[in-house]
Amino acid sequence: MEDESHNNILPNGFNTGSTESPCLKTSTMTTQHNNNNNHQNHSNKEQDRFLPIANVGRIMKKVIPPNGKISKDAKETVQECVSEFISFVTGEASDKCQREKRKTINGDDVIWAITTLGFEDYVEPLKTYLQKYKEIEGEKLNIPKQLRSEQRLHQHQQNHNNNHDENNNQPFNGAYASSNLISQPPYVPTDQKFSLPFSPNSIQNQLRQQEQIDSVGHWYE
Amino acid sequence: MVMADEEENGVSIQLEFPKGRVKKIMALDKDVKRVSSEALFLVSRSTELFLQFLAEKSAQVAIEKKRKTVNLEHIRVAVKRHQPTRDFLLDELPPPSQAAKPDKPTQPAGRPKLDPAPRGTRCIDQFFRKPEPENTAQAPGQPPENPAQAQSPENPDQDQAQSPVPVDES
Repeated sequence: MEDESHNNILPNGFNTGSTESPCLKTSTMTTQHNNNNNHQNHSNKEQDRFLPIANVGRIMKKVIPPNGKISKDAKETVQECVSEFISFVTGEASDKCQREKRKTINGDDVIWAITTLGFEDYVEPLKTYLQKYKEIEGEKLNIPKQLRSEQRLHQHQQNHNNNHDENNNQPFNGAYASSNLISQPPYVPTDQKFSLPFSPNSIQNQLRQQEQIDSVGHWYE
Repeated sequence: MVMADEEENGVSIQLEFPKGRVKKIMALDKDVKRVSSEALFLVSRSTELFLQFLAEKSAQVAIEKKRKTVNLEHIRVAVKRHQPTRDFLLDELPPPSQAAKPDKPTQPAGRPKLDPAPRGTRCIDQFFRKPEPENTAQAPGQPPENPAQAQSPENPDQDQAQSPVPVDES
């Protein structure tokens, strides 16, 4: 049934869905196995695989009636559902990258994956958010609007190269890379600033965003 | 406060989920090598949209069943009603723990709305769950009670499904 569903999803008739499923399961098993053997990893594997339940509950509360409540089981189930959604979208985007012999998943791959999987309604909101995201990034870098998009792509590549070099010097990222058998860990050091499950306030978040930008100050060169 | 502004004006690009956690989940797929910041941002935002959609639909199901608390069954019904979501989620949901719901899995798709039973018709569940004379007395000749009667067979299922689930008011 699952294979048929995936075939229905992909108009071209690719069976990427069926090939993806065992791969995902293998990855999950590998991760769990490594977590069991890696004592340095203080994080709970259960927590690592899901988004924070506090964030999930908070967003759910915003869309249900004011006097509504959410059972704990419902929150936990939704927590698993959204994590599955991330893996689902990531798998499709990753497959597209491999077919095109690229190593970095970019924004277009994500939008393509979301469209392919049947969530077309999300595309317009995502493009709107992405535009604002680029504008804010551009303003901070003081780049002329005409050259913003071009330099963004260029800087993204530089950003990844820089992050890769920095990651090699980070013991934590090194441990993570070994545990997941990934030669190039996708983590950037600034992620640590956002590891808190709660955001104290908007000013603090803006400061963190600026710090994140400063960490790649070489963009100004 | 900031999130409320974001929801209304769409000005802020503050992400609800921690980036590091989203990246960890993406990296569970060993084929994923590198992820650009744009891609990470888009995945986080689309996940928020998906969560809002799922919560909204689950709340609608709860309202249809006259419930204030969203529980597991409401989520399952909401997932079934949306084809793209059920394609990748239905197998992931925990199986129904109540044997009292054999009807729903057999149905190919959840009904968008429960049709009111014709006057005088009684659901088969009543014979097994509601032996109380109160309902029996109301059933024959109360036209205004028909919608309530049509809804009543669902309530025992919800009560049974809900009782083992602890309610969290966080």
